[in-house]
Amino acid sequence: MTDNRRLSPEQVQQELDHIARVATAMIDGDACRRIVTPRALEFMFKIDPHDRFLAGDNYDVNDAEFNAVKKTLIRLSRLAPFACDVNLWMPIPGHPDKIQVVIRNAHELSQFWVFGTIAQDPVPPMKTVLETGQRVAVKQTPGMISVLAPVYDSLGGVAGLVEVVTHSSSPAHEEEM
Amino acid sequence: MAKTAHPSRRTFLQTALGALAAERAVPGLADAAGRPYAPPASEARLVALPQYLRPDPFGGIVRADRSAVPAAGSFEKNKTISLECARGSYASFHLVVQTAVPDDYKLDLHLGDRAGKIQIDLFREWFHPLRSGEYYPDALVPASLPYRSQIPDPDNKITGQTAQAFWVDIWVPPHAIPGEYSGRAMLQSGGKSRTLALKLRVHPAVVPAEDAVAMDHNSYDDSWIAAQFPSRVRSASGNFFESDELFRLIHSYHRIFYEHHGVFHQLGYGHAGRVTPEFAPALEGEGSRKRIADWNLYDRHYGPLLDGSAFAQTRRGPKPIPFAYLPINPEWPASWLWWGEPGYQAEFVNVVGEMERHSREKGWTGTRFEMFFNHKKRYMGFSWDGDEVRFPKDLSYFKEYGRLLKKALPADTPVRFVFRADVSWDMEQQFRELNGIVNMWTCAGSILSWYKGAPKMLRERGDIVWYYGGPPEVTQPSSAIAELALRAWVWDAMGFIHWLAVSPGKDPWFKFTGGGTTLVYSGERFRLADPIPSVRLKIQRNAVQELTLLDSYKSRHGLERLKAEATRRFNRSTPDEWWNPRPALADKPPYEWTNSEMEAAGEPTRKLFASLDAAAWSRVREYVMQLAPETT
Repeated sequence: MTDNRRLSPEQVQQELDHIARVATAMIDGDACRRIVTPRALEFMFKIDPHDRFLAGDNYDVNDAEFNAVKKTLIRLSRLAPFACDVNLWMPIPGHPDKIQVVIRNAHELSQFWVFGTIAQDPVPPMKTVLETGQRVAVKQTPGMISVLAPVYDSLGGVAGLVEVVTHSSSPAHEEEM
Repeated sequence: MAKTAHPSRRTFLQTALGALAAERAVPGLADAAGRPYAPPASEARLVALPQYLRPDPFGGIVRADRSAVPAAGSFEKNKTISLECARGSYASFHLVVQTAVPDDYKLDLHLGDRAGKIQIDLFREWFHPLRSGEYYPDALVPASLPYRSQIPDPDNKITGQTAQAFWVDIWVPPHAIPGEYSGRAMLQSGGKSRTLALKLRVHPAVVPAEDAVAMDHNSYDDSWIAAQFPSRVRSASGNFFESDELFRLIHSYHRIFYEHHGVFHQLGYGHAGRVTPEFAPALEGEGSRKRIADWNLYDRHYGPLLDGSAFAQTRRGPKPIPFAYLPINPEWPASWLWWGEPGYQAEFVNVVGEMERHSREKGWTGTRFEMFFNHKKRYMGFSWDGDEVRFPKDLSYFKEYGRLLKKALPADTPVRFVFRADVSWDMEQQFRELNGIVNMWTCAGSILSWYKGAPKMLRERGDIVWYYGGPPEVTQPSSAIAELALRAWVWDAMGFIHWLAVSPGKDPWFKFTGGGTTLVYSGERFRLADPIPSVRLKIQRNAVQELTLLDSYKSRHGLERLKAEATRRFNRSTPDEWWNPRPALADKPPYEWTNSEMEAAGEPTRKLFASLDAAAWSRVREYVMQLAPETT
């Protein structure tokens, strides 16, 4: 695998853009919509003062759809000659102002995911992708670059988006619990 | 693993009411209204306190421990401190220097031991300011004798400070000569001297080398080490995360917990499968050609821990770490891309098989290597919960990994691999369904409390069983940390895990958040290259060594009788009362349980421990010391 520091920033972005374009063609937006279970969606915005982990404790996915889409995302990430992740982000039915990452991958890269959150506010470039279907490059977090691209359903609507992301400088150690 | 709840309002009220009564009983530490008082003008005072009474910087006792002041009546009498301990253990206490006005002082401590075996360690207690305005001592800064400084302490910067506390550890090695030892503590300040006589009785009993319960301290990754030791990072040449300095610090964390009769765990991967390079051998290839390419970082990290050489200079002696997480997760060593396909098994079996061979060739057979899945669906890496399963359908993954692990290992391997699961909601079902697959269980204490006899059942079938929670914050009575060890023993569990024990917060020195995620601190502020211990860690260590000694009398007195007496002394309870009845909700699917129902199910034991007093463990210790003259 190539160290992406040997590539110019433009070359890195080109590689990500290429993967993002393929992702739009390859990923099944209808299958993506079936990943999160209706029960998990029901609990996602419930508030219980006695249970601040209600959404997380009830979060669940349909294995078959999750794994099928995840495998496609992994394959897509392998198109890059450097370490890269392809993450799936989906709008949340009934909550047009929210979005969630539904699948993350092995390098645990993302410019947008906030550790521990399930539903979060979409950043403006995500809204652009969802509203226009355009691919957008984002360099919001120092040391990272992402290309966002739409995922379409069988009716031609934008069902969600992928974040194709890599380090644009040497990776730092990260901490999770 | 999830953190235990904080003490209830009820605990607070009962502690406070008890404190007011206690202060009336013991003048000298504080007045009846809770106001500490200083020595007469121009005088200095030297006071000794039992370990369970934590001093504050104004000559009083911290709020959480005040109700136990009456129990300390006989600790210092006629300017004499009386201590006792078994061999192979520590006797500990607080020494407090008080001055009425800002002044310099010199503190010294001496114990006569012609054989030169008994050793004294002195630590300056750091007073951490809490948001409430109160100060609690916790971090212990190593100090050498004689110790010279001034009050107020120029480093701790407490306005109006009139008292500086020190933690004294007296280490009595297993080969020390039993008998009476004497010595003294001396204070010089304001041109005058104060002396306390010190009497130590060393019993013939020796604390067994194997702890009765494993007190484990968990952590994640190692980036926090860099954050807590920035000057060590700067001093390392090249990439700190591949440097000898990183591995020295990792080993130092293992040592501090080992010396305090504890275990240290570092999980080396994230929720979506990212493995930190120094926690795993480097891999190359794919499918049937996947193999280990480089052991360098892994061996430098783990080699000295697995052969015990990292502990060569410790008082407890060199010994391999008893447990270590493997880097195995759904994405390592096999890629999730191949899950359900022959390639997944090929990659898993090749690499895990190589790890077994490597460990066997190195003679790393003293450690249990844990295959453990920490990921949760809510972190979006995988489609199933590895940690705290709530949905029974996820158990099928455990069964498959159990099969893969068996496939990867020779049946007669001397290397000890275990399949560990951290369980909560669904534990009762998992105990049944994963029998013969999972053989190391770490259980949420609140839910395990419903299943009396479960730890014993698991032990009898050869499994390891621990329970988990978090370090009690400093504002809980000092005995709260001893309760965790005692509970494990009363329940027949083999250990307890502090889910996070190395995270003191951004500024523990001047903006302390309570210590609920740490039992050690970085020594960097004090120009030390290693972590430093805490008062709570010392109290826990002493409880473990005393519990281990108590447990060693079971063949003579019977385990149940020892438990009954220990719980009676601890909080006037019986061992049965340490369990909750199995609630009706346990018959519903775990994903239907609510927090309110679960809280209600824990009410009986919560009530029992709501009025815990700081002296609770000291009463158990007295019992152990009554038995100590016996040989085991």
